[in-house]
Amino acid sequence: MKKKYTFGWDQGVSVFLVLTVVVGGFISEYFATIDNISFVIQDVAEIAIIALAMTYLIIAGEIDLSVASILSLTSATVGFLFRNGTSFEVAIVGGLLVGLLCGLLNGYLVTVIGLPSLAVTIGTLALFRGLCYALLGNEPVNELPENWIVLGYENIPGTFLPWSAIPLAILAAIAWIVLHYTRIGRWTFAIGINPEAAKFSGIPVARMKLGLFAMTGLMSGVAGVVYTLRFASASPDGAVGYELSVIAAVLFGGVAIAGGIGTLWGVLAAVLSLGAIRSVLQLIDFSANALLVVSGALLLISVVVPRAIEIYQSRRKSAFVTKI
Amino acid sequence: MKTLVKKVFRVRELPVFLALVIVVIITGTANPEFFTLSGFQDVTLGVAVVATLAVAQTLVIVMKHIDLSVGSTIGFSAYLIGDASSQGHGFWYCMGLGLALGLTVGTVNGFMVAYLRLPSLVVTLGTLYIVRGLFNEVAGGNTITEDMVPGPINFMGLNTFFGIPYLFLVAFLLMLVVGFVMRRTRSARDLYAIGSNLLAAELGGIPVARRVFLAFLATGAVSGLAGAVLLARFNTAAANSGNGLELSVVAACVVGGVAIAGGVGTVYGAVIGAILLQAITMALGALGIPQFWQLAVNGTLLIAAISLDRYLSTRVKPTSIMGAK
Repeated sequence: MKKKYTFGWDQGVSVFLVLTVVVGGFISEYFATIDNISFVIQDVAEIAIIALAMTYLIIAGEIDLSVASILSLTSATVGFLFRNGTSFEVAIVGGLLVGLLCGLLNGYLVTVIGLPSLAVTIGTLALFRGLCYALLGNEPVNELPENWIVLGYENIPGTFLPWSAIPLAILAAIAWIVLHYTRIGRWTFAIGINPEAAKFSGIPVARMKLGLFAMTGLMSGVAGVVYTLRFASASPDGAVGYELSVIAAVLFGGVAIAGGIGTLWGVLAAVLSLGAIRSVLQLIDFSANALLVVSGALLLISVVVPRAIEIYQSRRKSAFVTKI
Repeated sequence: MKTLVKKVFRVRELPVFLALVIVVIITGTANPEFFTLSGFQDVTLGVAVVATLAVAQTLVIVMKHIDLSVGSTIGFSAYLIGDASSQGHGFWYCMGLGLALGLTVGTVNGFMVAYLRLPSLVVTLGTLYIVRGLFNEVAGGNTITEDMVPGPINFMGLNTFFGIPYLFLVAFLLMLVVGFVMRRTRSARDLYAIGSNLLAAELGGIPVARRVFLAFLATGAVSGLAGAVLLARFNTAAANSGNGLELSVVAACVVGGVAIAGGVGTVYGAVIGAILLQAITMALGALGIPQFWQLAVNGTLLIAAISLDRYLSTRVKPTSIMGAK
């Protein structure tokens, strides 16, 4: 029996990524250089790391709008602890703990109190951002230890990859295996397709969702540390609006906002495509505004095209039926 | 008498309204300046933009949809109005430009959500980016300065009508009109039906697609016209105008009892929610609490409001991002 081959949106995005890179290489000779690739990876690292977690959350039928604020709160915590005399290593651990706690709070409000995640995370978006200001005031912390911030701008010795590629690659590999090859991944999909049915088939839905929110918080924390090192500064107003970039990338990668559908490599391809497009546009002296328009248009295309195909197919089917 | 008391306590907007009264009383007692005319004017003027957009957003949220593109639309509209005016066009031409922009965005949103049946969160996130990108491209580094603002808009931003800022009056009148329409007309009641049970609404013969389309169109139109309010409020507009407003607007609606799960809430609640958030911002200042805490307090308030609503209501447990399915 021949397996029927279906062309999914995630494959489309991967093809799109390849096209972007090829076209980018033709348009600007600087695009495919080692420096630029390193720059692109560095540029998308935080969004990519958060997108890994957001993929799970949206597949499970939830959403987290507070991720950018968690990123910033982690960064602010690192800065605050370091300014108050702890070692930088301890400050990083503290920051990650705060990220985890933020995620747990979101998860608690959604799963235990039973509030809609869209509204809750708009609230925690403001709350966590407010805490950044409460911690740091208006003064960013800039005097971070030199041996740490070189990780933010130097490449791994002997390669063209920035240091942030290491956490990104490890986390992406783990996220990919867990989502597509383990029970937790299948549970995530099951919850997104039908939470009621998932519950009755013995999946601990509430605990899973709590875990996913906590993980999203922790991953936003990791992104916060990467962000702090990249800019060599912890400021209260970092990464404003990143939440929408993350969600746009995840949705463009073929994850359905209604839950239950999506692949991790579709999302990664989407994040990298957006990074590559941004780079191409910058290299050919297009303004950053074009990127906004392109991101928005791609987002719309990612929902319009599958729907158009669906409508076309159902029309053909019904035409067939009426013929009989 | 008993039924009247019962009726009063069943009013959805009551908790927010009481919260507002408490905030005002506490702040006023601690700092009498809050009770003065200028304190009143600060709050009402500050709330005008968010209140106007919250009224429009209510139309969409009761249908269990969301419109994130309003922040981009209002900012772009404010810029277009100022820009057209600086080129010598008249007041009505400028307003027409803002309205045309709002209708265009509303049409795109409405068509995709209503007729293509695409999720509104994704569609309006897309249009948020597209409109913002076009806006930034058109505006570049230009800034609309006070002398470019059309006369009537400038006047309304700076003056009061018997002590009430004109901009607040605009928001208030809009609230009364939309509130009346949503209570009394059949087509607007349909929005509640669509939000509480889409399938039942469809089977009940409601032209769902047309209603959803028109609601998005109306939200777009109000956001476009509200560009004048934004321009009047700040007397300036630049590429970042209206950035991030969409989340404040949704927050105001939710605090005011317009549930994200659809089917409940009124524009009065949304406006009271907006006023409460604004009053707290002002109250922190009046009480001498550092402004840094303002965002944190607003966020906590939003969470408290929906928790309270969840506690008071007997609705089923939400299962999706937009609440109960």
